[in-house]
Amino acid sequence: MTTRTRYFVITSLLVLTVGLGTGLLAYYVGVPGGFLVDRDGPEELQYVPRDAALLAYADVREIMTSDVREKIRRAMPVHGDGQAQFQEQTGINIESDIDHVVASLQPLADGTTAGLVVARGRFSDVKIEALMREHGAQVEDYNGKRLIENHEIPQQVGDTLALTFLEPGLVAVGSGWGVRAAIDLQKSGENVTKNTELMDLMRSLDRGNAWTIGRLDLLRTGWRLPPQVANQLPPITWFSISSRVDSSISGTVRADTRDEEAANNLRDVVRGFLALAKLQTGSRPELQTLVQSLELGGTGKTVALSFSVPGAVFDAFGANRESAEKPPAH
Amino acid sequence: MNLLTSAARIFDLSLGQMLWSRRSVFLGLVVGGPIVLAVALRLAEASGLMFAPNRPRPAGAMIYGMMIWLLYVRFLVPVLGVFYGTSLIADEVDDKTITYLFTRPIQRTAVIIGKYLAYLVCTVLLLLPSVVIVFFLVVPLGRGATIARMFPTLLTDLGMLALGLAAYGAVFAFVGARLKRPLVVGLIFALGCEPAVLIAPGYLKRATVAYYLQTLVRHEMPQNSPGAALLQIFNEVPPLSTSLIGLAVIVGLGLWLAGRTVESREYVLEQ
Repeated sequence: MTTRTRYFVITSLLVLTVGLGTGLLAYYVGVPGGFLVDRDGPEELQYVPRDAALLAYADVREIMTSDVREKIRRAMPVHGDGQAQFQEQTGINIESDIDHVVASLQPLADGTTAGLVVARGRFSDVKIEALMREHGAQVEDYNGKRLIENHEIPQQVGDTLALTFLEPGLVAVGSGWGVRAAIDLQKSGENVTKNTELMDLMRSLDRGNAWTIGRLDLLRTGWRLPPQVANQLPPITWFSISSRVDSSISGTVRADTRDEEAANNLRDVVRGFLALAKLQTGSRPELQTLVQSLELGGTGKTVALSFSVPGAVFDAFGANRESAEKPPAH
Repeated sequence: MNLLTSAARIFDLSLGQMLWSRRSVFLGLVVGGPIVLAVALRLAEASGLMFAPNRPRPAGAMIYGMMIWLLYVRFLVPVLGVFYGTSLIADEVDDKTITYLFTRPIQRTAVIIGKYLAYLVCTVLLLLPSVVIVFFLVVPLGRGATIARMFPTLLTDLGMLALGLAAYGAVFAFVGARLKRPLVVGLIFALGCEPAVLIAPGYLKRATVAYYLQTLVRHEMPQNSPGAALLQIFNEVPPLSTSLIGLAVIVGLGLWLAGRTVESREYVLEQ
């Protein structure tokens, strides 16, 4: 091998090694500074309206392939294959086609809410459109996008079910209003990333692979609860749930109340529930680990409850279910 | 000398020749094209020339996926395979130097294996660093950098492209050893016949490299062209295991046929 060939090979391998090393570092550790880490959340946030009352994210691929999901499936088998039914209706296989989803709820002026799910993955738009048409959907052009909309859905839903492809591999599904708003946001740019309060809250979360942030006081208006019930609910403004699903499920539920007094009251209520749960699970060892992992925290107007459910808990559930289903020996 | 030692000698001799040929300079420029495009995109984003304010910027991951499909999988991998693969034996015949190789006390199969390995190292070293650079330049474009999240995809892409180079190289090594004008035939097959067969209904696509390679691409196929729409209608993606077995069979069969051809064929050098 000549010297210049050797130099070429070394340079080429160096580029590969540095690139892969940096990528590996970002993947496992995360490097601060915004270049290598997903500091500002998923890019699909650009399709979520600024005044969304609920924002959620799930790394479907990671969750679907996690150990704990397999254990849950074994412990609690679901009767009726909803996943296959969904695939039949939309042509989307949740396990293999979807990478991650961002979902939102936006309160509307008439008291209802518009839902939107933006999913990134591998989809066949031809197949999905054909399937939706089979189920009565119509196709129209809306601001340069093909909007597939089904008007034949139950009355109580209050809106149509619509779907569009925002980009290759990015599908938006939701109420007709929500999907149209997502298309409009591509031009206006008035998306949720401009909502400073919500974005600050999102950045403060240890996000994991599934999280939800919501404005409970706004969502409540859409629920149309009787005043007697509404008055009993704690005065929570923002709430968030962040979790990591891998070989176990761990996470934090956080609630921000209107004032410190409300936060103290809420803490007392949760403390009471925790004590009750510890008493109730004394004879259920499979639940004891879960209850013991619950930890109440938070200061000022914030109440936080962290939890950790090891995968073994689901194994114990599965074993209990199997022994209960086994016919008694004669 | 046994087959492996002979192949290693040929590999050592051929790698330098391949890397510093005029072909490599041209293909180096072609492979550098995506890097130039990626740098241009980064500059456009930084200067604000390309992406207007208050408009969502295109997602870097999406652009990177499109580049992998259109530039690398559909163009660069077949072209590298054709240019280098067909030249493994054909160049020696054209330069009338094949006699020097065939009169050495080594098996003729060792010549094709050694040259094939040199091709693989040469193309992998040309292509993969280019993909890594493009990845780091393009993925952070737009909102929210996602290098950490996209890293497993980069690994899959590198593996997929290396497998593609191995498969195309083996096929065109056989073509180069068997035919007199292999480059023309290779280009017609890789850039004409193969894409056409992929969008046509029927089983013929199973005899192409691209059919098995497309399963390994984890990016969404660009869907904004009539060809892509046709491809979707007749799209038949084999399972991962079938694709891996298919590609392994193509590599094995291609090399075996190339070796057999080189062993049995009499190359007549034009005076």
